[in-house]
Amino acid sequence: MSDNSVKTANDVAENFEPKILVFACNWCTYAGADLAGTSRLQYPPNVRILRVPCSCRVNPQFVIRAFQRGIDGVLVAGCHPGDCHYTTGNYYTRRRFLLINRMMEYMGIDPKRFHTRWISGAEGPKFQQVVTEMIEEVRAIGPNRKLRDDMKVTVNTDDIVASVEADTKVVADNV
Amino acid sequence: MERVGVFICHCGSNIGAVVDCARVAESVKDYPGVAFSTDYKYMCSEPGQEMIQNAIREHNLNRVVVASCSPRMHEKTFRACVAKAGLNEYMFEMANIREHCSWVHAGRNEEATEKAIDLVKMAISKVCNNEVLMKGHAPVTKRALVVGGGIAGIQCALDIANNGYQVDILERTPSIGGKMSQIDKTFPTIDCSACILTPKMVEASSHPNIKLITFAELEKVDGYVGNFEVTIRSKARSVDMSKCTGCGTCMTKCPGKADDEFNMNLRKRTAIYTPFPQAIPNKPVIDRESCLKFKSRKEGKDVCGVCAKLCPAGAIDYEQQDELFTERYGAIVMATGYEQFDHSIYGEYGYGKYPDVISGLHFERLVNASGPTQGHIVRPSDHKEPKTVVMVKCVGSRDPEHGKSYCSRTCCMYTAKQATMIRDHCPDTKVYVFYMDVRTPGKLYDEFYNRTREEYGVEYIRGRVSKIYQDGETLRVKGEDTLLGRQIEIDADMVILANAMIPNPDSERMAQIVGIGYDKDGWFTESHPKLGPVETHTAGVFLAGACQGPKDIPDSVAQAGAAAVKVCALLSKDQLETEPTVSKVDNKLCSGCGLCVPVCPYKAISLETIQERVAGKTIERQVANINGSLCQGCGACTVTCRSGAANLKHFTNAQILAEVDALCQTIL
Amino acid sequence: MSNAFVYNFDQVQNEMRAMAKELLESGEATMVIGWEKGALPYQSTPVMIRSAEDVDKLIWDAYCQQNLSTYLIDYIYTDEKVAIFAKGCDTRAYNRLIQDNRIKAEKCIVIGVPCPGMKNAREAARLPENAEVPMANACKECRYPNPVVFDKRVGTDVTAWCTERDFSDVEAIEAMPADDKYAFWQSQYTKCIRCYACRNICPACNCTSCIFDQSASGWCSKDINASENQFYGVTRAFHVAGRCIECGQCEMVCPSEVPIMLMNKKFIKDIDSLFGAHEAGLDTNTPAPLSHFSVSDPEEFM
Repeated sequence: MSDNSVKTANDVAENFEPKILVFACNWCTYAGADLAGTSRLQYPPNVRILRVPCSCRVNPQFVIRAFQRGIDGVLVAGCHPGDCHYTTGNYYTRRRFLLINRMMEYMGIDPKRFHTRWISGAEGPKFQQVVTEMIEEVRAIGPNRKLRDDMKVTVNTDDIVASVEADTKVVADNV
Repeated sequence: MERVGVFICHCGSNIGAVVDCARVAESVKDYPGVAFSTDYKYMCSEPGQEMIQNAIREHNLNRVVVASCSPRMHEKTFRACVAKAGLNEYMFEMANIREHCSWVHAGRNEEATEKAIDLVKMAISKVCNNEVLMKGHAPVTKRALVVGGGIAGIQCALDIANNGYQVDILERTPSIGGKMSQIDKTFPTIDCSACILTPKMVEASSHPNIKLITFAELEKVDGYVGNFEVTIRSKARSVDMSKCTGCGTCMTKCPGKADDEFNMNLRKRTAIYTPFPQAIPNKPVIDRESCLKFKSRKEGKDVCGVCAKLCPAGAIDYEQQDELFTERYGAIVMATGYEQFDHSIYGEYGYGKYPDVISGLHFERLVNASGPTQGHIVRPSDHKEPKTVVMVKCVGSRDPEHGKSYCSRTCCMYTAKQATMIRDHCPDTKVYVFYMDVRTPGKLYDEFYNRTREEYGVEYIRGRVSKIYQDGETLRVKGEDTLLGRQIEIDADMVILANAMIPNPDSERMAQIVGIGYDKDGWFTESHPKLGPVETHTAGVFLAGACQGPKDIPDSVAQAGAAAVKVCALLSKDQLETEPTVSKVDNKLCSGCGLCVPVCPYKAISLETIQERVAGKTIERQVANINGSLCQGCGACTVTCRSGAANLKHFTNAQILAEVDALCQTIL
Repeated sequence: MSNAFVYNFDQVQNEMRAMAKELLESGEATMVIGWEKGALPYQSTPVMIRSAEDVDKLIWDAYCQQNLSTYLIDYIYTDEKVAIFAKGCDTRAYNRLIQDNRIKAEKCIVIGVPCPGMKNAREAARLPENAEVPMANACKECRYPNPVVFDKRVGTDVTAWCTERDFSDVEAIEAMPADDKYAFWQSQYTKCIRCYACRNICPACNCTSCIFDQSASGWCSKDINASENQFYGVTRAFHVAGRCIECGQCEMVCPSEVPIMLMNKKFIKDIDSLFGAHEAGLDTNTPAPLSHFSVSDPEEFM
């Protein structure tokens, strides 16, 4: 690993409180979170809900963007398959996020930091449980230090310059 | 220049007891775009709304954020409020600091306040990217289409027609009537099925507001609620309906023979036929698969033609072709019913090979007075009266491994009904019923079941049948009585299987044509399992009867009436308001790759050709075009679109990114 | 793999020249796109030929890796009828472009060229002059060396030397601990200079307007740092997921030698195992895996 190595979870601040972004579909998960509210189901105040019409509106690029900006965890949540308000939206969510979640893990992002879940409008307790568990997990692994653009790991262009120079020389020798 | 007004609601103590509302208002007053911010006890109250309206005027606000309860509660209220003050109603956003904050973080005032500030900042950042949007209007075609002419479809059409609206029934087979026309008696009253169905069929056919389109199929559905454009394939009947008088002479001499599907193939019918004597319309069709003339034509010959020679009206038309025609409808009701599960996958029941192991629907035809045996209960193999009958329930139902995981709901009752009928017709015959559970929730249903056992002496055995095999003339039925914990072997003359109900085999294709959802088994999905049982997620499409899930006749009829009311409520409107929060495509960015087209659940996207000036030349190219009336605003296309050409109004990429960024800017 | 190189380039080259001559002389094509010899032995570069007199510029050797199909996009609004020489992967790229509605079949003539596998030009530059040059990475795993679609063709079919993709490189990364994975990708993406050569050469990256050129859209910044570069890398891989025809051009043209195919192959591997085997660009009808779904897709999100 180069000198540009990022800080890892080892230097977690003592009283670290993670911040977690929840993309909630309007018809199920948002309503489920509302139900948790009306039922006064308590959960830690670390989640922020962003309302989208359907989980299929959540571009994976939004998720990566949130990590770039320093979010500690992202939850994408929508209706259970078969219950989508738009009939098929969450089937696309499922395909996309089956892939992108694997890619995030492949990139070295801890899978505890991003989840996709089906939470219906009737599942206030499930909303409470899912976010509580996720907060605990992310709290345990510490702040997100990966993919962050404020870490400013800059590009080392020296190697590239060197390789271009080498190529130029070969051309010069041959011509 | 954005001038956002921010209003933080205390909701009495609902929010105010946990969230420091004044601090929230104070902390965002210098946030980019904010021109005014304040807090108040009840934002939704009359004085609260006046406060917003006055602030809009005084501070020249062009955008408003209210932080209070869930937008699902009061978004409409506040949109109307800002509209009264002259703002476009979509220049408004809500931050949910009650259901999503104060109510779920009781006693954690500091953190809840921090969270509320985040949520408000997200809303401000979003509203700064909001655009003025206008609701649209679309006219309503005051005519309904009912797909399926069974009891649900007939009842639904009658109810709509009696409300004064035009309605067409589309039926795939040559006659309306559906499964109920095949059934002999109905539970729990044992009244004759045909006696109660036929009058309804006649009423439907003679009703001035109802048009029957039989022997026809759904080909394509375009359009949207209030304005569906439906293409129908009218299959070639080979009989000119306008000339045919329904005298039936043509059928008398027809040499072509085919399995009679109406009678569950228990006898043969002619190639030119009406499915049953009370068919409506009572005009025959030629089954080209079994007609000698059509068969001979395939071999380059042209024989027979007996029916044409016999027909006194000259109605036989061998040259008829399928015809496609398009009709406009304001609403569609799906009433495509069910089929019977095929038990031949079960080895323990003989793979469907034993002629005397029959299904419930076979029995209905056997016991029907106009059926193949004139109503005599006899074994299909040798036409002898069975002395011992075994009935098996849950064949295909409640068997996730080989059959279906669900309960078919009707089998317990029709098995009880059929058992009593056997005992009525053949008092000397013993009847055994193998069951897993007996489920009889329905008016007078459990009473009927008890009578079956107690008065009719039908013997119920709790357990599954492990094997049925032919032993000479008898069927040896092996099973377990799980209540007594012993193996049982019965020598039966006939076995009747209570096969599961499954959706019409074509249901998935039909759901795709109409644009509605279906579950893993192929049943159509209602919009809400409790509160929207007859609606679908596609506005203007409703469900009636067993196409939505296994149902008996009373439930199907009730649901048909419910669907009819929804249709009438829709057709009673002259115009429908359409939401402007739909997708649109930026032609500049669109490459016309068309990847978004199949993703759209509403078939709202099509490729259209546009003209453009490129390097001084006019060129033509294709771009995606979204029909704003069809689009429901899910946003599936926006993620499929790599270049960001497809964007969802009111939930644009820029708006969501702004929210994400606003949330993250406080992270260290 | 070895017998793949018992292949007569000269003979095919003669056929190519004759074909080009005939097309241009008859007027059937107004331009033929092929390869000509570059400045170095391991460079064969695209050439556009408009006159029958110039057909002898055309060459066919083991360095004609560059995919010519993407050039067709440049001529869709002209009156030209363009003929291109196309290897197996190029024809899959051609199908990609047809399916994406970016070119029109009636404006193109595809001349299929069975390909014995191209050599790794980058290795060739490093190796001594007469050393044996290995096959290019993507070619090693090529299962379609013969054109899958063509209007005309030269040469005779070769036998594919590979029947299954080799995911061992992807699996090696999957097996790493998370921090090592991240360190690996970070070391790769800090090399990226966001020149967009990978995008420009990619037949699946054929948008008229790429989001990475829309700086006002808010999607991306022009900043070159590991974060932005990784956003670019994942996003580009996602955009071509299920659409990548595995020509490996992205990796070949990358001046920083970022192993871009390792990203693409991860998606390919997951798509195959999650949604069923998919080969992009074999025809123009099979829908892209992300443009449809199955109700019975794997369920992990309950």
